[in-house]
Amino acid sequence: MATILETAAGAGCFTTLLAAVDAAGLRSALEGPGPFTVFAPVDDAFAALPPGTVQTLVDNPPQLARILKYHVIAGAYQRDSLVQQPEWTSLEGAPVAIRRADPFEVKNATVVNADIACDNGVVHVIDRVILPG
Amino acid sequence: MTATIAPERSQAPLIPPSTHRYAEVIHRLEAGGSMLPDTPENLKQIIGIYKAYAVPMDFYWRDLLYIAERVFLNPLPAFKYFISKEYLDRPNSYAGSQSQLRIWRGTEKAHPELLEFMARGETGRMPKLLHHLWHDRVNMEFAEACMQAMLWHQGMGGRFNDYLESDAYRANADRAIKAYFKGNPLMLGLYAVFPEMFLEQVRQLSYYANLGLFWEVMAPVFFEMSDLYDEGKLTSVPEAMDFLVNGIFAVAGRPIYHHLYIGETCYEIIPKSEGFTWLYEAALPYVEAVFYRTSPFRGTKSYNAQAGQVPADQADFHYGILYADVYPVGSAGIPPTLLMQDMLHFLPPYLREIYQRHRRAEEDELVQLGITFQRSMYNVTSAVIQALRCALLYPLDDTDPEHLMANRRFFEAQMDRFLRPEARLADIQSQDYR
Repeated sequence: MATILETAAGAGCFTTLLAAVDAAGLRSALEGPGPFTVFAPVDDAFAALPPGTVQTLVDNPPQLARILKYHVIAGAYQRDSLVQQPEWTSLEGAPVAIRRADPFEVKNATVVNADIACDNGVVHVIDRVILPG
Repeated sequence: MTATIAPERSQAPLIPPSTHRYAEVIHRLEAGGSMLPDTPENLKQIIGIYKAYAVPMDFYWRDLLYIAERVFLNPLPAFKYFISKEYLDRPNSYAGSQSQLRIWRGTEKAHPELLEFMARGETGRMPKLLHHLWHDRVNMEFAEACMQAMLWHQGMGGRFNDYLESDAYRANADRAIKAYFKGNPLMLGLYAVFPEMFLEQVRQLSYYANLGLFWEVMAPVFFEMSDLYDEGKLTSVPEAMDFLVNGIFAVAGRPIYHHLYIGETCYEIIPKSEGFTWLYEAALPYVEAVFYRTSPFRGTKSYNAQAGQVPADQADFHYGILYADVYPVGSAGIPPTLLMQDMLHFLPPYLREIYQRHRRAEEDELVQLGITFQRSMYNVTSAVIQALRCALLYPLDDTDPEHLMANRRFFEAQMDRFLRPEARLADIQSQDYR
């Protein structure tokens, strides 16, 4: 099996996410043993944000890291486990709500591909960037 | 920056109509509109007042940062409003050609109308000290009242306030205080005896920095909106709101920090590396503290706290612009009146012309202007509500009824805040409210 970042790189639809992980200096952390559960927004999710949003974050790595950490929870959890609990604490510190089991919805994003097992965790592909609040 | 949020309009009624008292407003929000009705006069009023607000705001943000970063703990800050040339020329991060994210196409330095006013005031050319003593100047007291509202209310989301209580903050502030008073045994002695008093002052100065960084963004946003309107490129109230929504997203990740400069040495009291952002640690607390809550202003009317006339819970405070009765607020020395006086100096001619035609013309211009400001802030609040809906909930043209109901509950919860009788939401639905 590949790591979370190798899996994302191989998928080809996480170019912005991977660039953001590098800009935020989170690559080494996400290549560590973890395990992590990552909600990974596809490129279209970042593109849907109003202009300037991503660039401002990329220009400010600590702030970008905070948003990215909101997409990660400690531990490897498949969909069946996640839906057992209404909220999970993200690495950012704010809770991530699991709003629906079917269709599987995390915050206001829909999981378009769940339970991608990796060496150091699980990836769930989402169609929107999720934000704390 | 251009308004590029995808047009979001719900077509078929996938959910039943709202039965809320403000159902009409809720349906308008669900159709991508603002709490403020879309009329040509409303658009003219809000854009005109944004322009008039942005000019003094260009002074506010510069001076707030000057005080936070340079004046700092000066025990006799008599000249804190005498901003240095460095801060007057400080390039705005969102205006001018040097800007990485250029919101306003104008200059990065202080606005020309501001410089002209600072030189002449209402009275004429005279030394700066006389302008100050005659109170013929930009009223920084208003900006400080907003800062104090944020400091006092605290706990309005974000992590800024928690950090001010942390050990890391105490250590950073301690280092800054000792450096600032180096060679001053009297002040260092007082600090040794009353450390918490000094720390609390530094916390307040951190809110000066917070608000300064917040308004550094808003001034160019308002200037650009005014220019777009003058060019005929901003033609409706929803367009004005969408411009604000886009602006909120574009700068959401801007760092909020507090640096102190002693000579060329920088002391990081709140480092950028803490990850504090413009949206979570400045904009949202600002809207909550200033638009909704604030506190009763001295000199307006008397309240009996024992009789429950002042809420026991700070979250229920409702003395902000969205609830204000502008008429008594228009008395001398009250912070919102000071703002109105500041805006009066920079009204575009088309707004003056409106005021001339209504009520008592120039005799009650401050009141008319205050109500215009109230309308404009309902539009800014609409932008914040739509931005939050966009960030945390669902598109307005979503086809899932559950999602639409989630949006509906969010909008209704926001409107619940205007059910109290002091709210002006119902008033601004009519053009006759002036």
